[in-house]
Amino acid sequence: MTHEPLPHLIAAELDAPVQHATELATRLGLDPYPVNFWIVDYDEMNQLIAYEGFQKRYPHWRWGMQYDQRSKMDRFHAGKAFEIVNNDNPASAFLQESNTLADQKAVITHVMAHADFFKQNEWFETIDPEDPGAAAMMASHADRIHSFMDDPDRDREEVERWIDHILCLTDTIDQHGGMSDARTETPSESDDRSDQRALADRLSDLGVRDEVRDAVFEDRWTEEGPEPPEVDTPQADVLAYLRDHGKQFDEETGRATEMEDWQREVIDILRAEAYYFAPQRMTKVMNEGWSAYWESVMMADEGFANPDEILDYADHLAEVLASPGLNPYALGKYLWEYVENTVNRREVLEQLLRVDGITWRTLPRIVDFDDVLAALDPPEPLERVGSNTVDDLRTVDPVYVDESALERAIDGNIDVDRYPWKVLTYEGLARRNYSLTKPRFRGFLARVEDAELERLDRYLTDGDRYDDIEDALSAVTFTAGWDRMREIRRSHNDITFLDAFLTREFIEDRSYFAYEFDHASGQFRVSSTDYDAVRQKLLLQFTNFGKPRISVQDGNYENRNELLLGHHYNGISLDIAAARDTLERIFQLWGRPVNLHTVVKTVEGEDLAALESGDRRINPEERAISIRYDGETFDMKPLAWEDVESFVDTELGYDTTPDDW
Amino acid sequence: MGLRDDLERFRVVGEDRRDDLTDFIRYGDLGASDEREIRIPIKIVELPEFRYDPLDQGGVGAGEVDVGDPVDGRPGEDGDGDGSDGEPGSERGEHNYYRMDPEEFAQQLDEELGLDLEPKGKRVIERTEGAFTDRSRAGPESMLDLKHLFVQGLKRTLVTDFDEEFLEELLKVEGIGPDEAFAWARQRHIRVSKQWFVETHAGIPADKRDVWPSIDALTAARAPQSVVDRMRAGEIDRIPLRREDERYRHPEIIEEYERNVVVVNIRDVSGSMRAKKRELVERTFTPLDWYLQGKYDNAEFVYIAHDAEAWEVGRQEFFGIESGGGTRISSAYELAEECLTAYPFSEWNRFVFAAGDSENAPADTQDRVIPLMEAIDANLHAYLETRPRDASTRGRHAALLEDYFVEQDDVVVSYVHDEGDVTSAIKEILRPETVS
Repeated sequence: MTHEPLPHLIAAELDAPVQHATELATRLGLDPYPVNFWIVDYDEMNQLIAYEGFQKRYPHWRWGMQYDQRSKMDRFHAGKAFEIVNNDNPASAFLQESNTLADQKAVITHVMAHADFFKQNEWFETIDPEDPGAAAMMASHADRIHSFMDDPDRDREEVERWIDHILCLTDTIDQHGGMSDARTETPSESDDRSDQRALADRLSDLGVRDEVRDAVFEDRWTEEGPEPPEVDTPQADVLAYLRDHGKQFDEETGRATEMEDWQREVIDILRAEAYYFAPQRMTKVMNEGWSAYWESVMMADEGFANPDEILDYADHLAEVLASPGLNPYALGKYLWEYVENTVNRREVLEQLLRVDGITWRTLPRIVDFDDVLAALDPPEPLERVGSNTVDDLRTVDPVYVDESALERAIDGNIDVDRYPWKVLTYEGLARRNYSLTKPRFRGFLARVEDAELERLDRYLTDGDRYDDIEDALSAVTFTAGWDRMREIRRSHNDITFLDAFLTREFIEDRSYFAYEFDHASGQFRVSSTDYDAVRQKLLLQFTNFGKPRISVQDGNYENRNELLLGHHYNGISLDIAAARDTLERIFQLWGRPVNLHTVVKTVEGEDLAALESGDRRINPEERAISIRYDGETFDMKPLAWEDVESFVDTELGYDTTPDDW
Repeated sequence: MGLRDDLERFRVVGEDRRDDLTDFIRYGDLGASDEREIRIPIKIVELPEFRYDPLDQGGVGAGEVDVGDPVDGRPGEDGDGDGSDGEPGSERGEHNYYRMDPEEFAQQLDEELGLDLEPKGKRVIERTEGAFTDRSRAGPESMLDLKHLFVQGLKRTLVTDFDEEFLEELLKVEGIGPDEAFAWARQRHIRVSKQWFVETHAGIPADKRDVWPSIDALTAARAPQSVVDRMRAGEIDRIPLRREDERYRHPEIIEEYERNVVVVNIRDVSGSMRAKKRELVERTFTPLDWYLQGKYDNAEFVYIAHDAEAWEVGRQEFFGIESGGGTRISSAYELAEECLTAYPFSEWNRFVFAAGDSENAPADTQDRVIPLMEAIDANLHAYLETRPRDASTRGRHAALLEDYFVEQDDVVVSYVHDEGDVTSAIKEILRPETVS
């Protein structure tokens, strides 16, 4: 293992693929950050994975553990990592040297799409563009924390322990609101409010269902113009609250004392890193799917893989997409393809509905979808670009052709057999890769349901009318799918993306199911294959990083300077043992007693007997409780429901247990 | 500073990794492993966090199921969503075990317990068939590597296939003969030989050689098709297989001394051997098996269960058997002697391990077991007494053996009272002076 500055700049044989991939990505409408590519060996890759994609991180045993685990996963059983890329400007991508050339090309195209996503997705804008860059930030954090450890007043263990306490809370931040540097007593009035309105507008633009919006986002963002809260609670950013109002607990005197400067700074550092990683975690499915989609367009459809590499590439792709269950690559890619197809289909149908004599009722009868597809097929010269046929491009609509590139190609200065896309414009590439006419999607157009046709007809805006189908089809915008995909990639995150595009058809095609623990049989069992149930369960996994939401409710609880945290119970209860362990850590950051209000499910009396015998379905009762930790002992006691009502919602339907269990 | 320090710190925080193997042998779940792969749970230090009760949370999976079907191991769980990004193909799950093969296990155990077993080579092997990793150009038909043959053919098709019809037409252009056609094709990277043009040209009747006035006229009428187009159009319906691509998978040929070992595991399964005693036997014998398997090229195992009678069993049943009968240890050694005739001492290293709670008639021990142990040639005989500290004992088998064989290095008697003794028993049995 080394910890020298690691990587070797990319090998010469990859220079050309990188250049071509950048050019191709740009032609396809992507606008990525510049990417630096590095080649690393197996051990260096393990180090980078341990450090979450960076070469330098602050000292902490956790990286050692991640490295140790990664190294122990032997090379045969755990799939290898082909690459790791970080969100930075410029981004850095590290490629494993044992990859085949086909792997490397695939990875390069994949990384290009990630770099586009990092740059273009709005949820990443919570990261200040004026920051010196992610790698520089990580390195400076490393230096700061290292200097705290070097201080003769304390040792590494003490600083690490402090880090451990904070790490227990790095998911209780305000990831949708973004990191604000304002201290929490003074929630910045004008800024915050305009931000909140902007977010409310954004959510409503995205067409997020109300119940999702309420479940995922704080009320204060979705109300039109909230008054600034008089007190600084409730507060979703628990870490910021502790930084501003927390104290450390002095074991010797048994009293709370002010935190030292280095302690507050460590909170700031870890909080900044948590905010840095939050957007990536909020967009995992979209981002991986986006990259898988464009990788496949570039590699397979645009011939980025040479003919003799395409088999290796197929192997590579199968390995990436084949892992079972909820693979974010596969899930994301299929969703993006679904988006593309539905948008393209809508565009075609809207044009057809403008033909005189065609209505949503008559369209399926009048229109022969096979004829439509034949008309939509890319013109022959566009489909078969090659050195022998390049002249024929003069016969197609000039909007498809890059005129100056075509000149150069005809003069033999561009190898169009290998790089056919170099003579085509964005419009040309969109036409050439048009989704509805691809063999595997050819049935998609005809599968349109009457309800959708009726809806399209109803909302059809005024515009041109056509005399016949041919005229209508000549007005089809072939870039509609890609244009819309880029808009969605700009504004959505995983929750809104899944909520908007996870359709019944999709869940049934992919055989997704929800499962629940069955107390009677003592095991997990399939609870539902129903669309709503599966979608709800899936959204639970993506809401708030799949973790329960916790907020600060009061910093002077019962006038005793105690901390009160509220669990925003959504029908799924907390792991109480883990919550108690976490409260012990929070005590170290608050210095005084800490309280948590939550809801538990209890079973009593006859129901308990029924549960044990498994005779009948029992409905556990939901009860509000308080857990208090004073530094030595835990105290659990029941609460009145009114005490938790303001932050609890029991109507969210995350429980998919069938009635007869 | 750096990852090396972080790793050191993890070993302190999470206890030293090197303890793992000892702990695993003493207290770990041996059942997840088998003779080819030893699986050791990876020690993870978890920081607490607010999280859902996993039983209450449920989840989502994929597959053809019906409502009510049990879901094993929570399929389809999407990892822990850590901050790192972009690791296609890095599979989730499957990472709760560190897997080692018996060779690595033996090596680690050597390091951990300070063992140094040098296996003796016994039988001279003329030819050893190694893994079928070599490929040669000749071999038995059954070893033909069809995948290789097909893939090479497919690659060749993708690279070299050309539109024959078009090139034939090309020869029908006015003023184009084989030379000109070949130059034209070469310029466009079409991999077709000059010979092909010459032969094809010869086959075209003279009156058909000037059908097209120019190449442009030809391409206007009929553009050449790429291989991909032709595949899409279904025009390539077969992949030409070539003799030159035939490869036969072939074992490596090695000549060497083969280090063979046969291990006889004997266990008392009589009524007095309760669950705890059985577990201690398993904890000692199983790592011994793995260790010897890892040390020798060829390891054979014989499992003998006995009460008053002895019988041979498979590895799977060996540690589970319970019987009600009395005890006569000599029955097992009689069977062992018989079994070992198949493994002559001149060619095989032999280890005979027996375990029980020492309850045996002293007469049987002295008059029958001891003479049998002397008669059976072996690198090592071991007797392992497993008896929890609180259990009373009347048995004196171990003590009698110890007294009798006190001077002999090739007989070891060891006692295991609880899990903590297991590794020292293993160490005692494998200590260098006894087995080298």
